Amino acid sequence: MRLLILIMLAFGVATASTAAADPIPAQVVNVRPAVNVAKRSPHSDRVESKDKGMALLFWMFAAASVGGALFVISRRNLIAAVMGMVGSFLGIAAIYMMLYAHFLSVVQMLVYAGAIMVLFVFVIMILNRPEDEPVAPSGRAGQVLGGAAILYLVGRLVMLLIHVRAPATAAAAPGPTPEGHDWGSVKAVGTDLFGPDAFPFEAISILLLIAVVGAIAIARPLHEDKTIDDEGNPVPDPVTGAH
Amino acid sequence: MSDILFNVGYGHFLVLAAVLFLIGVGGVLVRRNALIILMSVELMLNAANMTLVTFGRMWGDVSSHSFALIVIAVAAAEASVGLAIVVAVFRGRRNVDVDRLTTLRH
Repeated sequence: MRLLILIMLAFGVATASTAAADPIPAQVVNVRPAVNVAKRSPHSDRVESKDKGMALLFWMFAAASVGGALFVISRRNLIAAVMGMVGSFLGIAAIYMMLYAHFLSVVQMLVYAGAIMVLFVFVIMILNRPEDEPVAPSGRAGQVLGGAAILYLVGRLVMLLIHVRAPATAAAAPGPTPEGHDWGSVKAVGTDLFGPDAFPFEAISILLLIAVVGAIAIARPLHEDKTIDDEGNPVPDPVTGAH
Repeated sequence: MSDILFNVGYGHFLVLAAVLFLIGVGGVLVRRNALIILMSVELMLNAANMTLVTFGRMWGDVSSHSFALIVIAVAAAEASVGLAIVVAVFRGRRNVDVDRLTTLRH
């Protein structure tokens, strides 16, 4: 036993001396991961570790999305509201990119900032009518009730968000999915969408078909119907101009 | 303070989503134009999507992206049908003020 300890001590001194004699110390290689582990607490919930550039980008895009949203609900001009909406959606797409949801970010830009907003612009062009009074008037009771409801909602949201805890396994950058694809890539999302989530995917196709048929059926002009304004007077059809 | 500013974590994304959702709620409650109300609803759907993606990122579950895609598709369907209704209402009444759509009340 004593001999064993002696041999171990000798081995330790020998390795220490060789390490000291080594022109490229082995510790230098080990320093970087050790510092990283010390920086990141075991229950870290940060997406990017102390990266000021990333933080600056986050605040920029958060300001773009919140500012665009405030623009939407405060503008009287509908086209201005739509442009604020586009800015908000682009900010949200960038935020998705920061969450490593690359494919979703591109889809957000194409579908929301592209297609849906163009649809809105077309409808606004068809309507082409300035608003008389953009904000709904409400009585004292309505204001108090609405304010109380909003405060309750804010309170519940704050309580929920305070209790959110990230799991201990949360990493600074997400690794590949169990199938081995990059996180948030088209392959990863597609593997999930055509595998475990195939049923919602197929249900969505039926929903979209119904929505297309329904939208055409609703928006089609009905010439046999009498078109009346608020006072009950007949008005010309906006497309044909006929009474 | 500087920790909140420079240490962007999941909480930041969740709070941002909550703020966007609240702005959407405010738009639905306050505005009278049906188009603005539809846009506010889209804003709320986006905020919910952002929460979904953040939690998926937090728990390492990529199926959150699939569900966010499905929510986007539902939002597209909702926008198309909602805008069709707005156009149909405008054809009949020449305005899209939701406070003046009281025909069904009588």
